[in-house]
Amino acid sequence: MDHAKLALLASATIVAVLLGVAFLGPSGERVIVATTTSTADSGLMDYLKPYFEAECGTSLSWISLGSGQAVAVASRGDADVLLIHDREREEQFVSSGNGTLRVTVFYNDFIIVGPIGDPANASSRDAKVSMGSIANAGRSGAALFVSRGDNSGTHALEKRLWAALGIGELENLGWYKSAGSGMSATLRLASELGAYTLADRATFCRLKGSMGEALRLEVVCEGDPSLLNPYSVVLLNSSRYPKIRYEQAIDFLLFITSPEGQGLVGNFTVSGERVFFPIYGKTESIGLPPEDEAVAIIEALRTRGHVV
Amino acid sequence: MAYVALRSVRKRYSDKEILKGVSIDIQRGELISIVGPSGSGKTTLLRLIDGLDFPDSGEIFIDGIKLTMENAPKLRKKVGMVFQNPVLFDASVYDNVAFSLKFRGLPDDLIRQRVEAALNLVMLNDLAKRSALTLSGGEAQRVALARALVYDPELILLDEPTANLDPANVLIIEGALREANLQEKTVVLVTHNIFQAKRLANRVALLLEGEMVEVQETESFFNRPLDPRTRRFIDGDLVY
Amino acid sequence: MWCDSMGWIEIFLDGISEAFGLILSSDAEILGIAALSLKVSMIATLLGAAFGVPLGFLIASRSFYGRSLTIAVINTFMGIPPVVVGLAVYLLLSSSGPLGFLSILYTPQAMILAQTLLTFPVVCGLTVSSILALDQRLKETLQSLSAPKLWEAFILLRESRIGLITAVIAAFGAAISEVGAIMMVGGNILGYTRALTTAIMLYTNTGEFALAIALGIILLLLSFGVNLALTILQMRYRKKR
Repeated sequence: MDHAKLALLASATIVAVLLGVAFLGPSGERVIVATTTSTADSGLMDYLKPYFEAECGTSLSWISLGSGQAVAVASRGDADVLLIHDREREEQFVSSGNGTLRVTVFYNDFIIVGPIGDPANASSRDAKVSMGSIANAGRSGAALFVSRGDNSGTHALEKRLWAALGIGELENLGWYKSAGSGMSATLRLASELGAYTLADRATFCRLKGSMGEALRLEVVCEGDPSLLNPYSVVLLNSSRYPKIRYEQAIDFLLFITSPEGQGLVGNFTVSGERVFFPIYGKTESIGLPPEDEAVAIIEALRTRGHVV
Repeated sequence: MAYVALRSVRKRYSDKEILKGVSIDIQRGELISIVGPSGSGKTTLLRLIDGLDFPDSGEIFIDGIKLTMENAPKLRKKVGMVFQNPVLFDASVYDNVAFSLKFRGLPDDLIRQRVEAALNLVMLNDLAKRSALTLSGGEAQRVALARALVYDPELILLDEPTANLDPANVLIIEGALREANLQEKTVVLVTHNIFQAKRLANRVALLLEGEMVEVQETESFFNRPLDPRTRRFIDGDLVY
Repeated sequence: MWCDSMGWIEIFLDGISEAFGLILSSDAEILGIAALSLKVSMIATLLGAAFGVPLGFLIASRSFYGRSLTIAVINTFMGIPPVVVGLAVYLLLSSSGPLGFLSILYTPQAMILAQTLLTFPVVCGLTVSSILALDQRLKETLQSLSAPKLWEAFILLRESRIGLITAVIAAFGAAISEVGAIMMVGGNILGYTRALTTAIMLYTNTGEFALAIALGIILLLLSFGVNLALTILQMRYRKKR
């Protein structure tokens, strides 16, 4: 056998082995949660991961995207379950038949933050008043507002607040900047530009914790009920997406709605502050409609004998 | 029939006709020298015989078989070619010469024997382990000759093998050619050096502007040329 | 005030000292991230070379209709933005995509596939140019020695090996440093598909600059190690001349 053929054979063998290593590796049991940047960037998912894995024996993976993008990824069947905060989209997802069950699991609250010293005088208990001050200052060139601009739940809430003030065509306003980024990146951008933005408390605390005073932002509005931010788990329709890991998705749902899961969420702190508040089965307490039907289904699933 | 026979071979490259109907018979075992000024078509003639290129019209026979694009790879196995500026592989002198025997599937000890003999012929045994790319021009030309001789071809084609070489290298190469010719190999030596043709060849052919002017025994070629252009060429009156 | 307490020099120095701390303490998470980056990019480079070198050789050594166009297309793909490849591979591997049945989205395999698509044109294009740069008489010499096609390819590739190593270096550099493609098809999943570049992006986003700098330094060191090995190999070949 001549050398060239031998070399060719050897190379072919190496390629085959490489392909084998690359593509035949065992990929184990896991569940992919499509979630928002706030749950991922705040560290909540990292915090829950070991508990969930110990409980269910399934690896917990998540893709952190804006809520809109998370829904889009799930609509293609590329995630097993959703954990997001955009009620309109969630309901649309379920009513279109892509999802089968939606339940609120916890909430956090949004805050309006702005440059140290609050040049726009936006400090207020009322989010509408605060946003109005920012817009006024913006028109006179004294303030900037940075929007997530990524179709996330945060972005959706922000647009609702502007709409309530009658402010539209935002992209054409000189003082309005669309970042097209996740929460942390948007906060850092606001800090650099000396701008106001709407943020979830969890991400803001986490970033404040890691960047300290290099994050030149302070809270100007908090505590307004319209700034409450409920997160839901949405189960996908397994007959529409037969390839998803449905059983593992249910495990995740049962875990996060269990007393243990709810307790973990409530105990999670960022820089010493609690940022997420469990609300499963008690949605009325923050002024949301009751979810008795969903709760009944989940509890039935739990007694059916799932791991959790 | 002659070992190599060309019949009215024409070859054109873009706008210039290089060979204008060349016919010649080359006998088995002879050492024939093709002389002529630069640009007369000598190199093209060799390339056509080696099947590296093909005539526009006319025919070439090797050992009675008509050379075609299809059988060129097969016929070429009996032909060794030494280019004017040979390219050696980035490997040792030994490996350069052994290469063509390796893919011919010869056993290792036979390869060693043959390579050593070929290197001996061009007096390069001492440099067997040297990287071929570090050789001088003359040494490189000798390696190229050994590389073409090692697989024992019946026909050897050489394109100006000693142009720009010093006398020592010229002597070694000419010696190796004589030796090859003594072993019944047919040798076609293209040169513009008529003294080299005179020293080595049995017969000499003059190629001028793509036409075969005259083919004769060496002695007659130089002493009794038939064509006045041959006379002017050997007298050095033909300016080129 | 904040400028004084946390200036950029502090952030930078912090990052450097943290980087060496992490490397010396062999933090399991960091090592895992570095190992994944190295594994994915190396396999992608080798696969890119396994397909790119033979194809590049064929394109360079055959003449066929549309060859210049083919070379121009490959050269264009050498500069394709990783996110475009990421998007294409995402759509391909997505459950509702044509290769959805493989179920490898958000896995290291998907990352390898995406990076292979990035390294392949780099290796292929540079192979074409290093074969074309060879002395054209080399091929004729091989032909006149009656070398079989396979041997001819073997020698021509061997003659251009310095160029081929350059191709591999460039491909590996493109793979290990890109973030867009592996972010999209790997998903930056902790302990599974989080690579050095995607982790750097995450930690920059979350304001953990020291950690991001640390990972950046590790990335540079890894890249330097691989390049050094390949360059030594290349210089060894060059010395023979």
